[in-house]
Amino acid sequence: MNSVNDRSRDIGPFVPAPDDDMLICRCEEITKGEIRQAVHDGMWTMTEIRRYLRAGMGLCQGQTCARLVKGIVARELGVSPAEIEPATSRVPMRPIEMRIFANEAKEEEDYEQ
Amino acid sequence: MKRHDLIIVGAGPSGLSAAIEAAKRGLDVVVFDENEKPGGQLFKQIHKFFGSKEHRAKVRGFVIGRQLLDEAAQAGVKVVLNATVIGLYQDKEVVVKIGEEIIHYKADAVVIATGAAENMVTFPGWTLPGVIGAGAAQTMMNLHGVLPGKKVLMLGSGNVGLVVSFQLLQCGCDVVALVDAAPRVGGYGVHAAKVARCGVPFYLSHTIVKAEGEESVTGVTIAEVDEKFNFIPGTEKHFDVDTICLAVGLSPMSQLLKMAGAKMEDNPRRGGQVPVCDEYGRTSLPGVFVAGDVSGIEEASSAMIEGRMAGIVASEYLGYIEKEAMDGELGSLEEALNGLRQGMFAPENRGKAIEKTEEGIDVSANLLKRGYVADDEIERFPGVTHKKGIHPVIECTQNIPCNPCQDACPKKCISIGSNITSLPIVAPESECIGCGMCVASCSGQAIFLVDEDLGDGTASVTLPYEFLPLPAEGTKGIALGRNGQKVCEAEVMSVKSAKAFDKTHLLTMRVPKEYAMSARFFRACE
Amino acid sequence: MNSNAEVIVIGGGIIGNAAAYYLSKRGLKVIVLEGSDFIGNGGSSRNGGGVRQSGRDVRELPLVMYGIKNIWPTLSEELETDCEYHQDGNLRLGKNEKHKAILTKLADNAKSCGLDVRMIDGEEVRRINPFLSDEVTCASWCPTDGHANPLTTTLGYYKMARRNGVRFISGEKVTGLRMIKGRVRKVICASGDVFEGENVLVAAGFDSREILGTVGVDIPMTRSLLECLVTEAQPHMFDQMLGTAEADFYGHQTKHGSFVFGGSSGFEGCNKDNGTPVSSAKTAPCICRGIMKYFPDLANAKIVRTWAGWSDKCADGVAVVGAIDEVPGLYTSCAMSGHGFGIGPAAAHQLAQLIVTGTTDVDLGTLRYDRFKAKI
Repeated sequence: MNSVNDRSRDIGPFVPAPDDDMLICRCEEITKGEIRQAVHDGMWTMTEIRRYLRAGMGLCQGQTCARLVKGIVARELGVSPAEIEPATSRVPMRPIEMRIFANEAKEEEDYEQ
Repeated sequence: MKRHDLIIVGAGPSGLSAAIEAAKRGLDVVVFDENEKPGGQLFKQIHKFFGSKEHRAKVRGFVIGRQLLDEAAQAGVKVVLNATVIGLYQDKEVVVKIGEEIIHYKADAVVIATGAAENMVTFPGWTLPGVIGAGAAQTMMNLHGVLPGKKVLMLGSGNVGLVVSFQLLQCGCDVVALVDAAPRVGGYGVHAAKVARCGVPFYLSHTIVKAEGEESVTGVTIAEVDEKFNFIPGTEKHFDVDTICLAVGLSPMSQLLKMAGAKMEDNPRRGGQVPVCDEYGRTSLPGVFVAGDVSGIEEASSAMIEGRMAGIVASEYLGYIEKEAMDGELGSLEEALNGLRQGMFAPENRGKAIEKTEEGIDVSANLLKRGYVADDEIERFPGVTHKKGIHPVIECTQNIPCNPCQDACPKKCISIGSNITSLPIVAPESECIGCGMCVASCSGQAIFLVDEDLGDGTASVTLPYEFLPLPAEGTKGIALGRNGQKVCEAEVMSVKSAKAFDKTHLLTMRVPKEYAMSARFFRACE
Repeated sequence: MNSNAEVIVIGGGIIGNAAAYYLSKRGLKVIVLEGSDFIGNGGSSRNGGGVRQSGRDVRELPLVMYGIKNIWPTLSEELETDCEYHQDGNLRLGKNEKHKAILTKLADNAKSCGLDVRMIDGEEVRRINPFLSDEVTCASWCPTDGHANPLTTTLGYYKMARRNGVRFISGEKVTGLRMIKGRVRKVICASGDVFEGENVLVAAGFDSREILGTVGVDIPMTRSLLECLVTEAQPHMFDQMLGTAEADFYGHQTKHGSFVFGGSSGFEGCNKDNGTPVSSAKTAPCICRGIMKYFPDLANAKIVRTWAGWSDKCADGVAVVGAIDEVPGLYTSCAMSGHGFGIGPAAAHQLAQLIVTGTTDVDLGTLRYDRFKAKI
């Protein structure tokens, strides 16, 4: 069992910090304090943090903040960031308008000119 | 569904290199890139590259970009721009957004060469407009001709931070400080030295306390940190700036591989989340290969070699070449790649404090702490010699894989030898003719021509100069030392430009002879 | 490590977490074993967020109505988590006579169970939701239906159960159960760990079939891949839950402003995967086309994410919830057939009550595990 799987491990109490109001996920406006509090609520993985707070679920899909969030979670849990599994990546790589996603090209068209 | 032998995602140095090698071997290759121009980061790189001939050393990055595009076109590679690969699905189905449509492609092999994205660090005010990535600043300056700001603080002393700081200076920005939380400069000493001698102060073991400003950045406070990276109270320093550049590393953009189900690993030595792959870029998914920063952060020269390897491996995978042929070619590429991974900055030395050069010389402590070699340290390096008449002074003090200087001298005054990381040596018996080829050939701008005694109490110092406008002959000004401080009055004797110098101008200044070994930059009087 | 508990819950999804919460609230010692590395990683986090009664089979209706009446309205307060529950009605949309016939039949069934569902015409549909296109000519309208946020609800139960002292272990894949002296007792894990419980609740989605099989219980179910997509945040448009007669899409606008839409391509039953549920290249474009016919205004909304999840589909399309009488101490809630999110809290609540008191408020007789009979 790794250090993240046993969710009853004592990680100590949540201690407020002066920089808790610092924005970490800019797309969804999630602060460092919210992330730290979520860890103390049991959200010990990037996937759970994402689902619970929306951090990393905005337009950039975590390109900017994932590394920062990971560092905060790892520090709160007292483990190395490498032990914190990153969240999955999902299509589309870049946000895409619904009308374009809906618009599949016909076979014969050729863009490679 | 349209099918290709090989689909490459990303038209940067590694993607184009893979495409060229595969197309040369008969594969039908298409490269998709989301940008409007190909080349990835290459067209932002206006400096000369390091390495040896096979790594295209002393050629500027954007020129390498042009060369790659020409080679790709000749080989029959199709490069589709403004084409965003939005997904890599099962069975190597690649879905691409082009214009107002999405198009489904099947590939028999795929090379992912999507590169990397800039890291951020947080501090109060980090979301203010004016806090930008160093790469973004480079894009603004070198691709779009837009000045990122007037007064800039750079955070990060790796090669990106150093190179971009120099380019900011070239654009006329005032770089007020170069700051890094680490105790030592992270990038090449020669890159640091050319920034330091322009007068940029280095603050190692310092980091940003806060960015100031309401609507946008108007200032920044830094402070010294202890070995645990905690601020030391009372060490705060304030700068008025409108821009803060962050050069704090890159993270691989490996999302396509992850979504396709490739086995991934978190590898801090390779920059973060990377696909598990062998040394030639084979991932856990058969027929899916990787090259360049997406599989581990390095630089463009190694990315090109990795790209070529991936192109060759893909060619063998699809039966266009035999395994024996592949093995032979991979062998020589591996050698070239190993050549780049030598010396003090080799991957295995990352983060290590190296105290002596391969030659057993003490490394300059000042260089690592302040960005320049101190006057009392410089004499111990083998490129720094004294002689009557004009002669080269090579202030190359770290073992880095680079050797164009030894081929540049028509008189064979400079030698590095077979070990590419050795420090250059000035051969005592050779006759320097003052042609300046060595000065222009040095990608680190670390070679000077010095005549220590012109006979009238003055000396001449010829230095590489990449600032515009060029000062006219006779311009009076001051000579700056390696630390960027004034050492004496100076006058421009000549400014030489030649095609062979490739836009590095040779500025020769006259200084009192006692400053021949300390005057290293020229600034005209206002 | 203490591996004994009064109840071992297998599955850290909404049902497992909610059951752990309700059991711990009643003072029981509970251990939850989650097979994946993440809490709430199955269908609980991969659904459209519907909390619906309309369109449900009459056998399921009493349980889902119980939840909507007794649990959902106060759930955010109870879990100290914004579950984003909205009870603003469900529109099931139709575009032609064939659709109308399907919708009318569903509405009639529901009405017979005392549910307020009625058929409305296109004009009334657009009075309720002015963003719908003129192609919509009819709908069934159930004003007491709604939607909630599956992610925060599932994790909210987890948070509170954990706070109550429930022990959660992720990455602990259960391979089987063992009987001891006529009662289910041991829970065997792939890691080699063995847990012991006086009672065992299996709420592990499709994996429940294999786990229950180790004590000779089989629940006929298949696994089908459902796919959804999410837009960037949009200005607030509407609060209803939406579905269609044709089932070409379903979804709602979240509190955050993004739209979550599920849909189908027609290949749900035979999609392949690579070991985890992955989106297929065909489906998202198809869902987009479906949505734009109903909501032309959303054409420029950007899709930021697509995802897929497995639904544990029961042979008769109705959930299995209750005690497994022939194996004393064993309970299950599985084969939820895509209804697990809306019905989950009520199922968990009733199972907790059943485990502690032996009684339920809702008759679970229609959801029994042994109801499956051959057709002739």
